[in-house]
Amino acid sequence: MKRHLNNLQAAVRQVFVHPSYIALAGVLAILAFLLAVWFPNLGLIGDVFSDSNAPLTAKLGIALSLLGGISTNFSLLSAGYTIAVAVLFGITTAMIVYLLKQRQVAAAGQNIAIGSGGVASGVLGIGCAACGSLILGAGLPFLGPAGALAALPLNGAEFGILSVALLFVSLLLISKNIAEPIGCALARTRNAQQP
Amino acid sequence: MISLTTGVKFMSIMGLSRAVAAGLALFVAAANAQAAERNAAGAALVDRVREAVIKELRESGAIDRAVDAGVDRYVERQRAEAAQRERRQADARAAVMRPVTKGRDHVRGNPTAPVTLIEYSDFECPFCKSFHPTVKKVVEESNGQVKWVYRHYPLDEIHPVKARKEAAASECAAELGGNDAFWKFADRFFELTPSNNKTDVDTVLPQIAREIGLDEARFASCLASGRHDRRVQEDYENATATGGRGTPWSIIVSKSGKTYPLSGAQPYAAVKQLVELALQEK
Repeated sequence: MKRHLNNLQAAVRQVFVHPSYIALAGVLAILAFLLAVWFPNLGLIGDVFSDSNAPLTAKLGIALSLLGGISTNFSLLSAGYTIAVAVLFGITTAMIVYLLKQRQVAAAGQNIAIGSGGVASGVLGIGCAACGSLILGAGLPFLGPAGALAALPLNGAEFGILSVALLFVSLLLISKNIAEPIGCALARTRNAQQP
Repeated sequence: MISLTTGVKFMSIMGLSRAVAAGLALFVAAANAQAAERNAAGAALVDRVREAVIKELRESGAIDRAVDAGVDRYVERQRAEAAQRERRQADARAAVMRPVTKGRDHVRGNPTAPVTLIEYSDFECPFCKSFHPTVKKVVEESNGQVKWVYRHYPLDEIHPVKARKEAAASECAAELGGNDAFWKFADRFFELTPSNNKTDVDTVLPQIAREIGLDEARFASCLASGRHDRRVQEDYENATATGGRGTPWSIIVSKSGKTYPLSGAQPYAAVKQLVELALQEK
């Protein structure tokens, strides 16, 4: 584990020495956070922006005030994993982009697969913030609005926790690929050994 | 002699025929070659014209403008379709939402207020517990501009038995003490109980009935009768029909009938601004 953490530290230093990657990670993390907090009310935001005569400032005011839902519509646990998923999503994606730019396509592909699993799981977890799940409720209507969640001990927070775990694993793997790039070791020759 | 002359003549005809055939072959070959040349020249001309037209279109920016216009038209079409879809959903929501009636619904605030906030709520939901004072504050500060309608949405899967029993108990409070008793029951219930199915209903329900001045025996009898169970179920069905997928689920209705769906326990600022938006709708 210590080796993984060392790799993570080295990879973060290597990637985020470039301000463009800090900006990319930041923008993606903010977008993921906005999506997560607005998710239960995307329909309302659509209604307000597309079908209302109110001035733009009023519409933006509503969208911004809904962000306060992170403290009123999320439990401490769900707020924690929502923020963690957003931050990990930003960092992981920025690192995947770095890998792709280094032409390590195979390694990037593996991490995209794990990271996508984390994000998908996170999306399922988002709906579980309030009582009942939006995603599961909509996807499995025969179980009732909260039926699928009743079977889970944490009422759906499992998805958020799984999401954080998957994104973290993805981050560790990608850090390994950055810190310890796969390549053919140079054969040691006698000349090389003897200065 | 005759035969010699005939032979010579025959030879001449043969030679002439061969010459004609060779000439024809040459003519056909030449014609083909000419046609091929013409085709090649035509194709080259078409290519040159095409390149010139493309170059001209490119340099004049006509291609870019056409592509931009096409993309704009596509985006506009998608936007219009999305808006139309949202309008259809809003219309459908408004159509299935049971109209507010004084005899049937529990109304807080000015009954003739232009804006109505209909809340579908579960007494065991911790988010409904935290949302209750938020809506109360919005209604109290609205100067009669907002009325609050409370409907039941007990999530049996998460809060089995208790949420539905508490909903029925609130209906018993309304039956015995009217609209005011219902709201006193709801306020006190959310104050007293821990939510998340941890409420000791056998202790708390009679306690609240006593505190708000109801006849305890009649309250207990009403609760045991199950006569409000159907009403609670009707509210539940209306909640899901209007698009509810969790609690609290609210619909803010403007004077003109425009609806704004609000999911979850959103902060005071969001509810207040939505109410103001609904007030601006003519």
